Amino acid sequence: MGQLTQFAINGLMSGAIYALIAVGIVSVYKATKVVNFAHGYLIMFGAYFYYTFAVIIPGQEWAPSWLASWEPVWLVEMKEGLPMFSPMGAVLDWVQNVPRIIFGIIGALIANAIVGRIIERTLMRPLMGQSIFAMIMVTVGLISIMSGAASIIWTADADFVPHIAPNAPVRFELFGSTIFLFGADLVNMLIALIIFGGIVLMVRYTKSGVAIRATAEDQSTAYSMGISVPKVFSRAWVLASTTGAIAGAILATRNGISPSLGLFGFSVLAIVLMGGLDSYIGVFLAAMAVGVMEAMTQWQLGGDWAEIVPYVAVLAVLLIRPHGLFGSKEVERI
Amino acid sequence: MINGNLKATYAADERVLNNSYKQAFVYGTMLALAFFAAFANEYMILIACKMGILLIAVVGVNILTGYTGLVSLGHGAFVALGAYTVTMLDNGLTGIIPNQFMFFVVVPIAIAVTALIGVLVGLPSLRVKGLYLAVATLAANFIVIFLIEQDAFAPWTGGVVGIDTPDANLLGWVLDTNREMFILISVVAFTSLLAAQNLIRTRVGRAFIAIRDRDYSAEILGISLLRYKLTSFALSAAYCGLAGAMFAFFYSRILPEQFELDLSLELVAALIVGGMGRTMGPVFGVMVIVMMPEVIKVFAAYFTGGDAASARYISPLQEIAFGLLLVFFLLKEPLGINHITDRILRAANRWPFARG
Repeated sequence: MGQLTQFAINGLMSGAIYALIAVGIVSVYKATKVVNFAHGYLIMFGAYFYYTFAVIIPGQEWAPSWLASWEPVWLVEMKEGLPMFSPMGAVLDWVQNVPRIIFGIIGALIANAIVGRIIERTLMRPLMGQSIFAMIMVTVGLISIMSGAASIIWTADADFVPHIAPNAPVRFELFGSTIFLFGADLVNMLIALIIFGGIVLMVRYTKSGVAIRATAEDQSTAYSMGISVPKVFSRAWVLASTTGAIAGAILATRNGISPSLGLFGFSVLAIVLMGGLDSYIGVFLAAMAVGVMEAMTQWQLGGDWAEIVPYVAVLAVLLIRPHGLFGSKEVERI
Repeated sequence: MINGNLKATYAADERVLNNSYKQAFVYGTMLALAFFAAFANEYMILIACKMGILLIAVVGVNILTGYTGLVSLGHGAFVALGAYTVTMLDNGLTGIIPNQFMFFVVVPIAIAVTALIGVLVGLPSLRVKGLYLAVATLAANFIVIFLIEQDAFAPWTGGVVGIDTPDANLLGWVLDTNREMFILISVVAFTSLLAAQNLIRTRVGRAFIAIRDRDYSAEILGISLLRYKLTSFALSAAYCGLAGAMFAFFYSRILPEQFELDLSLELVAALIVGGMGRTMGPVFGVMVIVMMPEVIKVFAAYFTGGDAASARYISPLQEIAFGLLLVFFLLKEPLGINHITDRILRAANRWPFARG
């Protein structure tokens, strides 16, 4: 029982991050009807931008020293005399990193928003009104372009980046068994959930969210009601690339930074189709379910098998419900 | 100028090569291939072999995507299945079947196995299409490669480190050089291209095209979607299985990572660049997709003088060029190179009159 709870919680934590990645794919689909196969590579760019702004730039000679490691007097005093690996020590280590974490996240957000905007303007806008096949294949071509560009710009194969939150171990009792977690994972999950919830609320209640929903409903009617559809498109892409930047930063702290981060996009794509392309709730449930199933598979069959869980799950769901768990059925006219 | 293209009988109208220009083109190509096999240097033979293997697979994808209109991003898995089935059968049957006849036993079995698994993967196509099918096939590709890499199957598949493959043995003629393999590959590729051209002229091929144009309308006309969608999947998987068999005979070792997503994307990209739903489309597409990395390599060596520091940029550049090629054709010439050649031929045909 103890093991089960532990793995279920681990699964929920990775499920939250899947949901955060998925929200980018769903938002772009809702607004533009394009399914972005290259979203994983947008995330990889986010991770590399975080690495650039949080590790490479603070490491330069011209960068101010407080950026690389912030050491005010009170911090140094507090650190003295602490035993190794104490929770307090972990928190203080994190405080040292705060300036470069903030710098890294802001930098990643801005840089990724620019990348998203460039993609939208150069590749997606000329394709408005084209067939689904053409749009899918353009994003497939984008995969190669982005992964090639990343390996030209960033030479590092694999590296580590500072955690977003203090990485102190946390122990607590649940259902009579001890659960062991890392603080950073917990905070990552909270960040992911807050952003996901925020976007759902935004699409529901704000003016630009209503514009997105109106465009999703009927493009030409939205146009005639005074909504600037191209603006909605670029807003959706910026939304996807900024959430992607945060997801990338979180993934980079969890798994280290490497070109293989792009592959996450494919398993998340499977999750999105499982939940139903245009349903935030369905996608959220699917992400959590896949996260838990992955953790259970990891526990019972070993880490290798976890990586195909999303693919097996999507095949099973598509055979039973062709439009996903909560997706709306398309009506076709001959 | 095509004139005198008058048909007096239905049989003449329904021939595969229904005018003298097509016949001349086919016989001329055969002659050219024979000369190529005799006189080309080793490097050209190597490139041509790569093209031939890819061509067989792209012809298969063309049947599915170009003619039936079902998008698949997982055909690399079928190439893998063909290659691994041939290798595993060859290892398993050594001593039971004489080596001279091995080729004629294992290749048909490999094709049959891939066709069968093609039907299995095609089952979702009855309920989902377009994007959903693309992701379903993508998922199937990941699962197949994952299973091949598993330690549990490593005694047969070799696992992550790959497995040595046999040489082709045609009735005692061991094809152990690239030039000999080129003869086999070019004959097989040529035959499969003609077979595909023949297919679309038959009842089955016309049913495929009807399904592509509008599947529900086709069903109302009495075309069984179940039967023809699965036939299309089986045929295209069989072509890919054949390509995989040639792959296994051509290279001395196969690795699971050679058949990952990259290969599946390459197959679809070659089809898009060449032109979907046209017989010559795969030929043009494969030429461009195989030549492009080589051209970049040559240019890079020319501009940098071949120093090692810049060598690391070559493979990302090839990747970017591949993506740009795909995007360029989708945005600017969605019907592919075949459409360009069509225009040129039409202009030549009407010369010196209107050129439109």
